[in-house]
Amino acid sequence: MSSISEFYEKDRGEDYYNRLIEEIGGLNGKLNAFNAIGSISEGFPFSVKDNICVKGIETTASSKMLGSYVPPFNATVVERMLKKGFGFLGKTNMDEFGFGSFGLNCAKPARNPFNEKYVAGGSSSGAAVATSILKYHVAIAESTGGSISTPAAFCGVVGFTPTYGTISRYGLIDYANSLDKIGIMARSGDDAREVFDVVRGSDGNDATCTDPDYHDRNTGNIFVIDELTNGASEEVMREFSRLLDSLAGKGYRIERKSLKILEKAVASYYVIATAEASTNLAKYTGFKYGLKNDKFYQKYNDFFSDARENFGIEAKRRIAIGTFVRGASVKDRYYVKALKVRRLIINELAGILKDGFILNPVMPIKTPSIEEAESLDPLTSYKADMFTIPPNLCGFPHVSFTYAYPDGMPIGAQLTAGHFDDYALLGFLKEWESGFKYRFRYDIGAL
Amino acid sequence: MKIGLEVHVALQTNTKLFCRCRNDAAEVNTAICPTCMGFPGSKPVLNGSALSIALGIAKALNCKTREKVSFIRKVYFYPDLPKSYQITQLDEPMGYDGGVEYGKRKVGIRRVQLEEDPARIIREEEYTLIDFNRSGVPLVEIVTEPEIVDPEDLRSFLFELESILYYLGIDIEKELKIDLNISLGRNRVEVKNVTGIRNLVDAARHEMERQKALLDSGKDVVAETRSYNEGKGVTEESREKESDEEYGYIYDPDLTEYSLTGVEFAKPLMAGKIAHDYAERYGANEDTLRELLMFNRDALRLLEHAKDRRSMKSIINAISLLRKYNGMEMDEDSFDQMAMLLEKGGYVGEETVKKLLSGGSIDINVEEVKVEDLDREILELINKNEGLIEEYEKNPKTFNFIVGEMMKKHKLNPRYIAERLGKLLEERRK
Ligand SMILES: [Zn+2]
Repeated sequence: MSSISEFYEKDRGEDYYNRLIEEIGGLNGKLNAFNAIGSISEGFPFSVKDNICVKGIETTASSKMLGSYVPPFNATVVERMLKKGFGFLGKTNMDEFGFGSFGLNCAKPARNPFNEKYVAGGSSSGAAVATSILKYHVAIAESTGGSISTPAAFCGVVGFTPTYGTISRYGLIDYANSLDKIGIMARSGDDAREVFDVVRGSDGNDATCTDPDYHDRNTGNIFVIDELTNGASEEVMREFSRLLDSLAGKGYRIERKSLKILEKAVASYYVIATAEASTNLAKYTGFKYGLKNDKFYQKYNDFFSDARENFGIEAKRRIAIGTFVRGASVKDRYYVKALKVRRLIINELAGILKDGFILNPVMPIKTPSIEEAESLDPLTSYKADMFTIPPNLCGFPHVSFTYAYPDGMPIGAQLTAGHFDDYALLGFLKEWESGFKYRFRYDIGAL
Repeated sequence: MKIGLEVHVALQTNTKLFCRCRNDAAEVNTAICPTCMGFPGSKPVLNGSALSIALGIAKALNCKTREKVSFIRKVYFYPDLPKSYQITQLDEPMGYDGGVEYGKRKVGIRRVQLEEDPARIIREEEYTLIDFNRSGVPLVEIVTEPEIVDPEDLRSFLFELESILYYLGIDIEKELKIDLNISLGRNRVEVKNVTGIRNLVDAARHEMERQKALLDSGKDVVAETRSYNEGKGVTEESREKESDEEYGYIYDPDLTEYSLTGVEFAKPLMAGKIAHDYAERYGANEDTLRELLMFNRDALRLLEHAKDRRSMKSIINAISLLRKYNGMEMDEDSFDQMAMLLEKGGYVGEETVKKLLSGGSIDINVEEVKVEDLDREILELINKNEGLIEEYEKNPKTFNFIVGEMMKKHKLNPRYIAERLGKLLEERRK
C-alpha cells in the first residue's frame, strides 16, 4: 500500500497540519529544506521545487534575480496535484536555477538530514531533505543532469526522473529546456507511481509534452557499463559490487559492457545545457519581475548589466560558457557538435536499453561533507555528474534508490530504462523494496 | 547598384504566434499573458493558422519548402524584447529560393520566415513606455536577393508584392515595415525600419545619392546601419546592432519540428499575371487592367465572370464605373446587365448603378437609332443655333451642350454621341 492511501485511512486529528508546519519550521532552521512554507489545511502534503511556479507563492529558483517574485499562474504539475486533492506544503530549496550538484549554490544551502555537516546533494536539495524528514509527503522535483538522482541518493529517498516529455514543463523556470524533466521524490516506488499517474500526460501549454504508449519491459538483464563505473572511488565500488551480487542472487543476469562514446557525454551535456541556459537567463533584466533595478536614468545596456550583477557566481559562469559555445564563429565546434554527440549517444544507449536496464552508482564519490564539496573546483564538480548525465542527456527514465548504509549514511544506485519504460523502473522499485527497508532519521508527521 | 529588402508582414491571425492572446487589442497592455510577457515558466505553443498563412506566402512567392520547419532563438537585449531573445527561423525557414516576376523583371526571394514581433515602444520626452500587445504578434519576414536595380524598380516590385499579399488576404492597409540594403560600391548599408512605399523609395534615392557622392569623391562607403529621417529626407547613422556572432542562434528547445505535410494554405492569386494574360488575349490595355485588378478582389471576380460574355472594352468600362460610384460589391448578374447595356452603346450613370445594387433591373433594350438619323439630328441642332460652331472654336465646352441636348431626345451613351459629333465637326472643317 502506498503511504498516500495509508495517510487517508488514518485519523489525523484536528490540528495535524498546524503541528506539521510547526515541526517543519523548527527543523528547517537547521536543514534549510524549504524556501517558503504554505498554509496547508487538507490533503496529502506535497512540496514543490522552487523553480516550479505556484500561483501566489514566492518562487525564486533560489536566485536573487527572482527575489520576491510571485507567479500569476500555477505550473501544470501543481495544478494537477491540487486538483487531485494533494495539499501544497511549500517550496523547496535548490541550487540557483538548478546549477549545481551539491545544493551549495544558494543563500542558505540545505543540509543532509543524516549528518548536517554533509551536503544534501543538488540541485533538488530541499526536495530530498523534505522527503527524508517527512513521513507523509511527496516532492515535485526537477532534473536537468542529475538533479533528482544525486540528492535522492545522498538523502536516502527514491528519486524518479521520468522520460523527457512525459510531465509538462509549463510553469518550470527553465534551465535547459531540451534536458529539463520534472520528476518525483518519495519514500517508496508506489508513492512515486501514484504521483506520476496524477501529473503525467500531454498539456496544451507545453509543445514537447506527449501521451506515449508506455511499455513495462523488465527482461531480467542488467548492464553495467565500464564508462559508468570508471573513476568511482574504491569504497563506492565495493558497495556497488555487493549490490550486483544481491541482484544476481535475485535472478538478474548482470552483464558488463563498454561504450566509449559515453566519455563525451559530460562535455556534450555541459555545452547544450549552458547554451540553452544562457538564452533562458537572458530574460532576467531587472525590470519586469523579481529583482527590480530602479536606476531608470541609465542607458538600457548599463541598466541590464547592472541588474544582472545579481546572478550568483555559478550562474554567471554558465551564462559566460553558454554564450561562448553558441557564438557564430565557434558554434559548429561546440553547440552543433554537442547536438550530434547527443544523437549518437541516444542511439547507442537505446540499443542497449531495449535488452535490459543499465545500473550504475549515482555518484563516483560517497556523500561529501559541505567543506569537501566547497573545495572542489568547477571542473571536478562538473565531472562528479558523469554517471547521472547520460540518461539525462538522452531523456531516458531513471530511478535513484538506496541500497546500503555504510557508516550510517545512505548510498544510492541509478537504474535506467528505455524511453517510456517508466513503469518498468517503478516495478523494479517495488520488487527492491520488498527485500530492503529504507531508513530515515526523522519521521515528522507520523501517525 | 544593388538593393535588397527585408519586408516584415504582420499577420492578422485571431491569436498571437505562441500564446492565446488576442491579436487585435486596441487598449495598450490588455492582450498579454505570461508567455508574451516572457514570464519565468511560460512556454510557447505554435499557432497553426500563422504557420498556414506563412506557408501560403512562401508558396505565392514561388519558394521551395522543406518537409519540416523549426524555430530558433535570436538573442539580443532591448527593452521591447521580453525574453531577450526573439523566436524566429534560421536553417529551416518556411520557404527559400523563390522569386517574384513583374513585367519583364524578376527579383529572387532568398527566404520567407515566420517570427514573433517584439513589443511596441512608445517614446515620450521624459520616459519610454512599452505596449506588450504587439509582443508575439506573428510576422512573416520576406528577404529578397539584392536584385532591385533602382528606386523605380523598387516601387514596381513592392506594388507587385503588395498585390500578392492582398490576394492572400493580408491587410495591406497596415503599412509594411521594411529594411533596405543598399550597396553602390563594395560595402553594404542597411537602412532600418522604413514604413510605407513612398518613404522607402525616397529613402532608397537619398541613400543612393549619399553613397554616390562618397564614391565620386574617392571615399569609401562604411558598412553600417542607418535610419531614415522622413522630415529631413536623409539617412542617418543609427545605433549599432548586435552581430551574428552575438545573436548566438540556437534551436528553440520548447518548440518541436513542425511538419508542413498536410498544412493547408491559401492558393496564391497573381493579379499582375492575370492582367498581363488578359491584355494579351483580349487586346486590352495592360496598364488599365493592372490599375483595376491589382488590389481589387471584386474587380477580378466580375471580370472573371464576364470575360467571355461581353467585350473586354465594356467590361473594363463597367468596372471603372462601379469604382467611380462605389458599387464594386455588385453581383455578377447585375454586372452582366450593366456591361451588356454599355456594349449596346447605352448610358450608365450613378442612378443605374444604384438601381442595380438595390436589386432592381434595368432596361437593356437600348433605343435603336440609325447613325444617319443621329447625324442628321445633330446637324439640324447645329444649324438651328447660329454661331454655335464659332462659339465651339473659342470654348470647347459648347460640346457638352450639344451632347446634353441630344440625350434629352435619345437614351444613348453620351460617349457615343460625342464620338459622332466629333466626326461631324471634323468633316465640316474640311
Ligand atoms: Zn500572450
